Amino acid sequence: MSDSSPNALVKSKTFRRIKHFFVQIGDLSYFAGRFFKEVFSPPFEFRELLRQCYQMGVLSLFLVGLTGFIIGLVLTLQSRPTLIEFGAVSWMPNMVGISIVREIGPVITALICAGRIASGIGAELGSMRVTEQIDAMEVSGTNPFKYLVVTRILATTLMLPLLVVFGDLIALYGSALVENIKGNVSFQLYFNTVFDALNWGDLIPATIKSFFFGFVIGLVGCFKGYYSTKGTAGVGIAANTAVVMASLFLFIVDFIAVFVTDIFYEL
Amino acid sequence: MAKTTLENLKLGIFVILGTSLLLTAAYLIGNRQNMFGGTFNISAVFKNANGLQNGNNVRFSGINVGTVNKIEMLNDTTILVYMSITENMKGHIKKDAVAMIGSDGLVGSMLINIVPGAGVTPLIEEGDELESVSKIATQDMISTLNVTNENAALLTADLLKVTQSLTKGKGSLGRLLNDTVMASDLQQTIANFKYASHSANKTLSELNGMVSTINFKESTAGVLLADTISARKMRQTIDNLEKSSSELEQMSKELNSVINGLNGKNSFVQYVSKDTTLVFQLERTMQNIEQGTARFNENMEALKHNFLTRGYFRKLEKKEKKNTN
Amino acid sequence: MNSKHMEKTGIVATKETQNLESKTNGKAVIRIKDVCKSFGDNKVLNGFNMELYEGENVVVMGKSGSGKSVMIKCLVGLLAPDSGYIEVMGKEISTLDRQTLDELRSDIGFLFQGSALYDSMTVRENLEFPMRRHKEKLGYVSDTTSLVLEALENVGLAHTMDLMPTELSGGMKRRIALARTLILKPKIILYDEPTSGLDPITAKEIIELMRSIQNKYGTSSIIITHDVDCARVISERMILLVDGINYAEGTYAQLSVSKDPKVDAFFKK
Repeated sequence: MSDSSPNALVKSKTFRRIKHFFVQIGDLSYFAGRFFKEVFSPPFEFRELLRQCYQMGVLSLFLVGLTGFIIGLVLTLQSRPTLIEFGAVSWMPNMVGISIVREIGPVITALICAGRIASGIGAELGSMRVTEQIDAMEVSGTNPFKYLVVTRILATTLMLPLLVVFGDLIALYGSALVENIKGNVSFQLYFNTVFDALNWGDLIPATIKSFFFGFVIGLVGCFKGYYSTKGTAGVGIAANTAVVMASLFLFIVDFIAVFVTDIFYEL
Repeated sequence: MAKTTLENLKLGIFVILGTSLLLTAAYLIGNRQNMFGGTFNISAVFKNANGLQNGNNVRFSGINVGTVNKIEMLNDTTILVYMSITENMKGHIKKDAVAMIGSDGLVGSMLINIVPGAGVTPLIEEGDELESVSKIATQDMISTLNVTNENAALLTADLLKVTQSLTKGKGSLGRLLNDTVMASDLQQTIANFKYASHSANKTLSELNGMVSTINFKESTAGVLLADTISARKMRQTIDNLEKSSSELEQMSKELNSVINGLNGKNSFVQYVSKDTTLVFQLERTMQNIEQGTARFNENMEALKHNFLTRGYFRKLEKKEKKNTN
Repeated sequence: MNSKHMEKTGIVATKETQNLESKTNGKAVIRIKDVCKSFGDNKVLNGFNMELYEGENVVVMGKSGSGKSVMIKCLVGLLAPDSGYIEVMGKEISTLDRQTLDELRSDIGFLFQGSALYDSMTVRENLEFPMRRHKEKLGYVSDTTSLVLEALENVGLAHTMDLMPTELSGGMKRRIALARTLILKPKIILYDEPTSGLDPITAKEIIELMRSIQNKYGTSSIIITHDVDCARVISERMILLVDGINYAEGTYAQLSVSKDPKVDAFFKK
């Protein structure tokens, strides 16, 4: 240590950070593995699952709907001038429909849910860990991993695709509203054009992708909360890092999903 | 407990609504691509698919009735396109309907238009092959125009060169023009041709006038026709015709000899034959002659059939028969 | 009584327990032998030994961070010791599978430091929670209301049944947590700092409650605390946890007059 220059210190710090990163990834993988092991083995916490589904699905609907509506509105308003310049304003439903169903709908919904749900889970499980509620559960004969983690991850995985469906629909409605007011396109014509433009190759990968998004949100939120360190500060950190990590992972998953979909299109 | 029930009720509504929306969307999308309900398959052969893809729409009289199923390359100029058409269109499309590839607007995707045929034919059945019309795509048109343009540019450049060398007395034609003997010969020949064709034309127009007057007279007052005068005139005309035709024969013989000479191995003539302008002129002349001859023949035929001259020609025939006998 | 007998080595302490064993004439329900546990470089337990006999209250005292909580968490399998042997009611904890461990845990009540009531559930749901997986133990009653009421009446809070934990004061939470601990009628109760964060009067109430529960159900308990008053009232035997080992053992009276500076430090006001 005596001969260690600042350079060596930085090196060791960087080294520790890199090590920490890999340890995190490893722990997360182990956590995911434990989820898959426990999700299929009884007992099943069905009532808690329903409660979590309600919490994450129904109670996120307003937020997701509002965001979707605004996105649809803004996307249409922003693209109008350009499309008018090209004389292609009648292609608006096709463009907006495909971009929302394929990409914007799932990603925006997932990001909103990462903000709402991942942080919520992180904070909730974090505080439960800190106040020994998780230990109390363990002691009282309930597997807290099953009761808290499995139900939450399952709930996000199942609810997110549904939220995406609602989000997509509301976003398209917002877009149709603009076209209806500004461009005299009837709702029927708008949605006819949208459904004409879409095919199963747009809808199905987006839906599958949404399941993965939901899984990532639940997994990261639970992971950060479940292994939150002692103290109330740890709860805040857990909530914060859960959002950051979940958002980051969402984009990575999105990239992989697009990549895989692309390969399937090529085939 | 009541709270939980309400929560579960809301959750149930949420899940059922979401799932049914998703399924409805999937159904609507699938329905538009005829994934549900009865379809039948027909096909058409095209020379050029023009960027047609699987899944493109098929329209019958402007209504979307199906999609393109499969595009198969049979050989380099034959592309077999399979289409699946909704079952309820079976009662409308007939066997003589024509398929053509078009596009949905200027920048739209490609589609197949099926246009009803004019005739009364039986209705289409599964597996039928439709007639197809290949419309020239905009791109093809543009590329053809391009080629034409390029050729025109080349031609003008060549022409410029030729005229330049001509004025400077260079090149084959220049030499040819300088060769006074040959030039006068050629001039003579061409003049002869001109004369021949001119006289032939003149004769023919005269004859035409004759025939028309005859027709006119026949139609108005055929009985009033002065037979003797007409007959004499007729004979004279025909004599003229004979004369001109013999002249024509002579001309063409002369021409033949010239052309033979051209085809021959004489060095400068070979040059000439390669000279496009001259050959073109020659061709024009030949065409004029041919036209003249053809018209002449036509007139002759007309004469033969005319009731006034029929007797004369019959006599001629008899004479000929006697002679041959 | 006689402080001269008090020694600070483990060997003497074992003698002491043997004496006590003969005195209480019970069998050991918990045995801990040479348990070591460290977190990173921090050695928390370094060869800790103790035994708990049927029907007795043992207070384990130690400074904050001395490993008291770690020790009782090892007892219920929340933490696994690095080495050593832990036996609860004749079963070695580390060898048990999940199901047997859960069965065993239903016989051990655990009162957590901060009450650890589930924030998202009502008091009633909190009390019902331990019964979810131990229905057989309670004879498969379909209506748990009477059991919940009984447990709440034991701690004098029957009226709070449909409140949320956030609506309760610290003392009430602690009593409800105690009620939750008792609902499965455990044979051993482990108290982790039962009086921490409470005012002296409430703390006294809690201690009284603990005593009455012990009288009523005849449970054996380990009480972890750094509150000397609490220890004085409730303990039949005390163990001082210093430097990761059972530094000294004896009754409150024996230890409170000890000349050993490390022992004496606990009793100084």
